[in-house]
Amino acid sequence: MKHTIKSSCAVLALMSGPALAEQITVAGPWIGADEEHVQAVLGAFAEASGHDVRYTGSDSFEQQIVIDAEAGSAPNVAVFPQPGLAAVMAERGFLTPLAEGTGDWINENYAAGQSWVDLGTYAGPDGSDALYGFFYKVDVKSLVWYIPENFEDAGYEVPETLEELKALSQQIADDGETPWCIGLGSGGATGWPATDWVEDMMLRTQPPSVYDQWVSNEIPFTDPAVVGAIEAFGEFALNDAWVSGGTGAVATTDFRESPKGLFDAPPACYMHKQASFIPSFFPEGSEVGEDVDFFYFPASGEGDLGQPVLGAGTVWAITNDSPAAHELIEFLKTPEAHEIWMARKGFLTPHKGVNLDAFSDPTLRKMNDILLGATTFRFDASDLMPGAVGAGSFWTGMVDYVGGKDVGTVTSEIQQSWDAAK
Amino acid sequence: MHPALQGVITIIVGVGGCVAYFYFSNLFLDKVLYPARGPNAGRNINRANLIRPWLFLAPAVIALGLYLAYPVVETLRLSLTNRVPGGGYEWAGLENYSQMVADPKFGEALFNNMLWLFVVPALSTAFGLLAAQLTDRIKWGAVAKSIIFMPMAISFVGAAVIWKLVYDYRAAGEEQIGVLNAIVVSLGGEPTAWLTVPFWNNFFLMAVLIWIQTGFAMVILSAALRGIPEETVEAAIVDGANPFQIFFKIKVPQIMGTIVVVWTTITIVVLKIFDIVFAMTNGQWETQVLANYMYDKLFRANDWGVGSASAMVIMLLVTPILVWNVYNARKEMR
Repeated sequence: MKHTIKSSCAVLALMSGPALAEQITVAGPWIGADEEHVQAVLGAFAEASGHDVRYTGSDSFEQQIVIDAEAGSAPNVAVFPQPGLAAVMAERGFLTPLAEGTGDWINENYAAGQSWVDLGTYAGPDGSDALYGFFYKVDVKSLVWYIPENFEDAGYEVPETLEELKALSQQIADDGETPWCIGLGSGGATGWPATDWVEDMMLRTQPPSVYDQWVSNEIPFTDPAVVGAIEAFGEFALNDAWVSGGTGAVATTDFRESPKGLFDAPPACYMHKQASFIPSFFPEGSEVGEDVDFFYFPASGEGDLGQPVLGAGTVWAITNDSPAAHELIEFLKTPEAHEIWMARKGFLTPHKGVNLDAFSDPTLRKMNDILLGATTFRFDASDLMPGAVGAGSFWTGMVDYVGGKDVGTVTSEIQQSWDAAK
Repeated sequence: MHPALQGVITIIVGVGGCVAYFYFSNLFLDKVLYPARGPNAGRNINRANLIRPWLFLAPAVIALGLYLAYPVVETLRLSLTNRVPGGGYEWAGLENYSQMVADPKFGEALFNNMLWLFVVPALSTAFGLLAAQLTDRIKWGAVAKSIIFMPMAISFVGAAVIWKLVYDYRAAGEEQIGVLNAIVVSLGGEPTAWLTVPFWNNFFLMAVLIWIQTGFAMVILSAALRGIPEETVEAAIVDGANPFQIFFKIKVPQIMGTIVVVWTTITIVVLKIFDIVFAMTNGQWETQVLANYMYDKLFRANDWGVGSASAMVIMLLVTPILVWNVYNARKEMR
């Protein structure tokens, strides 16, 4: 805490000094409602520092940032949804290492600090490791969203195990209703929601060590463990009776549109698996915790894999060095930067120094509990894989799989692209 | 500074600079380098006239070199090298090409491009010719032509968005907001997620480009039809030719050159097709095409070697058609 106060003082000193107002550009993946949230945070930074802060959001951020960096016109700060891409950019020399001591700060002030430091540390152009990325805004992915009222009306219980979840899905289907809404559409990134399913299934069917081997390509995509996880996802997505609109709708439905089926009357579906950010896309005025709620995507009741949790986060990195860019990273260390977004929607933070009362609703705290109750926490695998796989063939492969392609063909194609990736 | 003021200054500097370049370089040539006076006046005038065209061409040649030749050479170099961490390069020979050929997605893209190449220019030209002929002599022909031509004014991405709505899919039982599914359902059919049906979805994407390019074909061919000498048609009528014979045996042969130009121009558009595929399916569900494959390799896989290699393939495919197109267009003009 003392360190927090000290660093906040340092920030204030930096900001209140005769610092020249600079223009600083920030590029990120957030558009729509999330853009308003990040603007609020950056607005607070602009006010405190006097800098002119400009945010540009793009739903093909992953491509745009590469083009901008190669063209030499990168924004000052880029917000990567994928550490894998940030690592590639660091290797090419497009990222500037964060200020000295940032790693120590994260270690002291973030829950499970070392893991966040590790996830933000990449090899630079000369091959030596440095801390390039600062994690801000974390998501928990192992969540299933539902409408408690609908569950009550139909007499369904929140399942405690994966087996119960499947039984519940079957029961809903037997009742002539549709258990799931699944949407994989996301413009150029179509397919990514399926990778979350597969990763969650991986953690529920294999020990974490296998998951780590998968992420680092020590076992191939064609390994029975991976194939099994994909097929476990297929049990849900490839079952016409289990998904709203049938299998054909899964790949074409936009992930932002998909949860709306929960709110239909009569409901188009009863459950929707998606990360903690999704309330940003719920219909206007719906209260999380009252109108809509979530439960932990349950682990298998058999075996001893515990309660695994899948998560992700956005990593902020300096793509165009300037004093103001470092000031912005300093600002992200302050509790204020976290509390502004906490008061809004879809934000979790591992920052230990924040005032938890700032959360807009108690359910976000419940998510934090899931995070803390995890026996295993793993970062989104596709975000850690090379871009060609994690943001390419894995996505298209999942779309092909949902479209009816054989799992063996899909996985060998993905593995092929990984072997070819540089 | 106010952006409008910046714009005005840019225009003044740009236009003024161009005018100044031509005026002063010309002045320099005539007054300083080879003045048309003194003992060598005659020889100097000839020399100045030899140099003048190059002087006037120079800005265009330099700009073309910078924006056309340099990228081609650079792409060729990138396709033959691999990156090493830290910004260096290493010679890779044809490794990128062999890797690309081994990639099943590349084969799919090549096949789909061929499919596009056969279908789109043929149908666009045929529909354009049909529209040009049918609207030629009727009172509301101009209105019909404007409507057919209108899609030309829409960007490819805009058109893709419009057609994505046409193909939109909702589950059976729900209200269909896609025109196509709404029709199918009203006829008692089952709604289909059109864009996810392999092979056929290629044709659904092609429909968008045909929709756009028919107007272009129609305008050019309509002008060509007007240019046919009335006497030939009249002579055919006198000889007792029916309308079909007039069209296929008299009119079409006379505008064959124009048809070829229209055909090849659309072919080149097709070879570069990217926006429609990117915006509608992003190459998924087996709809990949070469340009989108290139984008995917360059900016998603960050593989500049294979990406540049596929760019070279597109260029090699476009070049002969482009040459033929220019040759035919010049022949037409004579």
